[in-house]
Amino acid sequence: MPAVESTIEQVKEIDVDKYKYGFETDIESVKAPKGLNEDIIRYISERKNEPAWMLEWRLDAYERWKAMREPTWARVEYPKIDFEDLYYYSAPKSTEGPKSLDEVDPELLATYEKLGIPLREQEVLAGVQGAKVAVDAVFDSVSVVTTFKEELSKAGVIFCSISEALQNHPEIVKKYLGTVVPKSDNFYAALNSAVFSDGSFVYIPQGVRCPMELSTYFRINERETGQFERTLIIADKGSYVSYLEGCTAPMRDENQLHAAVVELIALDDAEIKYSTVQNWYPGDKDGKGGIYNFVTKRGDCRGHHSKISWTQVETGSAITWKYPSCILRGDNSRGEFYSIAVSNGYQQIDSGTKMIHLGKNTSSRIVSKGIAAGFSENTYRGLVSAHRKAANARNFTQCDSLLIGNKCGAHTVPYIEAKTSTAHFEHEATTSKISDDKLFYCMQRGLSEEEAVTLIVNGFVRDVLQQLPMEFMAETQKLIGISLEGSVG
Amino acid sequence: MSVAVMKTKAELSFAENFDQVHEQLPGSPAVKRARQMAADRFAELGLPHRRIEEWKYTDLRASVKDALPVRVGDATQMTIADVIVALGPLAKLDAHRMVLVNGAYRKELSSPDQLAGLELEDLASVLASGSEHTEGLISLTARDADAVLALNTAYMTDGAVARVQAGARLEKPLLIAHLRAGREPGFTAHRNVIEVGPKASVQIIEAFVSLPGAASEGQSNAATQITVGDEAKVAHVKCTVDTGEGITQLSNWMIRLGREADYSGFQLTQGVSLARNQIFVAFDGEDAKLDLSGVFLARGREHIDTTLVVDHAVPSCESRELFKGVLDDQSRGVFQGKIIVQQIAQKTDGKQMSQGLLLSPDAEFDSKPELEIFADDVACGHGATCTELDKDLMFYCGSRGIPPDIARGLLIESFIGEAVEKVENQPTAEAIMEFARGWLAKK
Repeated sequence: MPAVESTIEQVKEIDVDKYKYGFETDIESVKAPKGLNEDIIRYISERKNEPAWMLEWRLDAYERWKAMREPTWARVEYPKIDFEDLYYYSAPKSTEGPKSLDEVDPELLATYEKLGIPLREQEVLAGVQGAKVAVDAVFDSVSVVTTFKEELSKAGVIFCSISEALQNHPEIVKKYLGTVVPKSDNFYAALNSAVFSDGSFVYIPQGVRCPMELSTYFRINERETGQFERTLIIADKGSYVSYLEGCTAPMRDENQLHAAVVELIALDDAEIKYSTVQNWYPGDKDGKGGIYNFVTKRGDCRGHHSKISWTQVETGSAITWKYPSCILRGDNSRGEFYSIAVSNGYQQIDSGTKMIHLGKNTSSRIVSKGIAAGFSENTYRGLVSAHRKAANARNFTQCDSLLIGNKCGAHTVPYIEAKTSTAHFEHEATTSKISDDKLFYCMQRGLSEEEAVTLIVNGFVRDVLQQLPMEFMAETQKLIGISLEGSVG
Repeated sequence: MSVAVMKTKAELSFAENFDQVHEQLPGSPAVKRARQMAADRFAELGLPHRRIEEWKYTDLRASVKDALPVRVGDATQMTIADVIVALGPLAKLDAHRMVLVNGAYRKELSSPDQLAGLELEDLASVLASGSEHTEGLISLTARDADAVLALNTAYMTDGAVARVQAGARLEKPLLIAHLRAGREPGFTAHRNVIEVGPKASVQIIEAFVSLPGAASEGQSNAATQITVGDEAKVAHVKCTVDTGEGITQLSNWMIRLGREADYSGFQLTQGVSLARNQIFVAFDGEDAKLDLSGVFLARGREHIDTTLVVDHAVPSCESRELFKGVLDDQSRGVFQGKIIVQQIAQKTDGKQMSQGLLLSPDAEFDSKPELEIFADDVACGHGATCTELDKDLMFYCGSRGIPPDIARGLLIESFIGEAVEKVENQPTAEAIMEFARGWLAKK
């Protein structure tokens, strides 16, 4: 799309120079020495008081990682990362491991308040955000607090940091950890498996509909650290959970690495809805600084009639390398992927999804909207594949791109592989400017040109916005700066 | 970490064969040097394999087991009647024929007269003459990194070198017939070089066909370079129709379009065990139009790959692609289409569609339609679908008393018909449909 004023204004809103979350919290922290070796891994494991099998698992992942090479196939460019020049563990000194809210350093609470994340349950109840959301707050390498634990445990839901889960529910963690993203899956997943420090753990028991939205808020604060979190969500038979994830980081002129792994497991008839609003610091207007967001996210529809739905709004990070995927193993299972990726400045996004149809009568839907502005590169890369035995697999894919200005690029790289005749795959992608006909029609009905453009752009991302939980809508609205005209909800 | 790359048997024998025959291959010393360079480049690159992104779905290292003996200066006994048999439905066309048998030009089998506005020579004589034209030929291939093209440059024996004069409107289509004949399996490398002058209009048909009784195995490597002048109009068709069991065809089309040029290309591929059809189009002048389409039919364990790259390097051009594949048994169809829109190529209009029809549960269709866009004022889109025969349509036909076999044929014909319709010349389109019907009838 050529430069239309209102759209440019809106994208500027999220421009790199206006990053609101760029402040730093002055808090003393404990760090492991720089660099990566077996001792660091032992240190992390010991610090978290992990069982012996976990340490072995980490060391094995480290061995495998050493033999792997950094992937170069994505359409992103960045200087080589020195993995020896990073702190792999950093925790606020006063808050080693989650405690009750009263014990949390007030400095930290203030940080989250500033970010607009209510950690005090009474505040949430007082209607700060309208609905109840349980939050797991991860600060650098550790989880500082998890709210609403009691209320959740009444329903049988386990929602805690993964370190806590390793202490209290090691059998569940051991059973599921690494079964969706094996430790040698890829370079960054192997690195994460070796050094992951914290993250969220969710277990929804059989037949339970999680009484509230669960959410994790990630914050990188310390310099020269990498954040390696690991999230594991298990929805047992017939259960339902909606999970939200948000992230921010201070403004710095150095690049910081964030390499997370998220594993979702949906058993028979279970449903997981996973939403992300990714707003890591994107770097300044010259492309200096910003987070490298190299994330492996994968869901396994293990049981029949299970469903996993990914929704993502990507606005931050200097570089994003992220493909939330679904393995549709169970018969009649369903995978969904909705994405809005907005890139500006010198941001580079290479994101998409994989839908791997293995079971019978599986279906999937992909809706991806990319908006590129400034000097950014925005790539959709996706795979839809049907195995020979995946009878009646169905897929519909739509990826649209909008370009603002002619210094940016929008690319689409879909892979469609059908190994059975009963698969029905449809894929369509477009890149275009707003059609004059549509504009004319709107204006002829009395809208100004800007209003007409806003209306059409709203329509452009609407499919995806509709998938976001209410709680995130407000934030996303602000992020994208597009009024929703009451069309969502 | 560096790994010593093992050469496969085929790679080694391609190199050995070159050492044996390179003295006999036509060409001036300059051409010989270019051949040697290309052979060296091939030795360096080896056969493309699945670790190379563009060859992800077609692994030549795994599927080309050995290099067949090279055909140079073939003189298989043939008559015009044989040519007519081999050409099948294409023989009915009133066309200016140039016939090559096993990679060698055969004057006595080709049309004897001249066609007004067309200068036609055979590649072997042009290469040997060392004329200006050869310089252009060599420079074009020297910068290429494609192993298949390097192999072609090293081995090319013959082909058509055609020049359509400015403003000329050829009254007949030019039919370049590549025939495979004889019981001895062999490897042939063709190259056609076609230059269409400004405001000229021409229809070119390339046929790759075989004579009944030809060896069941064969390898061919074909490359066609076409330069379309300003405001010229070209209709280009390639029919690869074979019957053998071990036929490999690697083909390259390299097309350059001038200002306001109008080019339409169509490819039919059937009866080939392994085919890789690559099409590279570069827009060189504004307001040019491109229309590419194709049909591929595969059964057994056949593997047909169409890979195209369209480079919009100038503003205001239009491109359309439509490819349809019908895949039966354990066959595999591959479509990769990449549309590049450069930063200056504003007002580009591009549409691409690839569709696979799978007739058997074991067939496979892989498609990778790619868009790479750097300009903002464009309208580009692509679509890809793949499915089996519509059961509702089959039922409808059944309810009208049409037996399933016939209904199936009708539906497949209408499916591929949409692409064949893109061929403007009616007799040519009919010949293509006749080939396709012949393929369908064999089941």
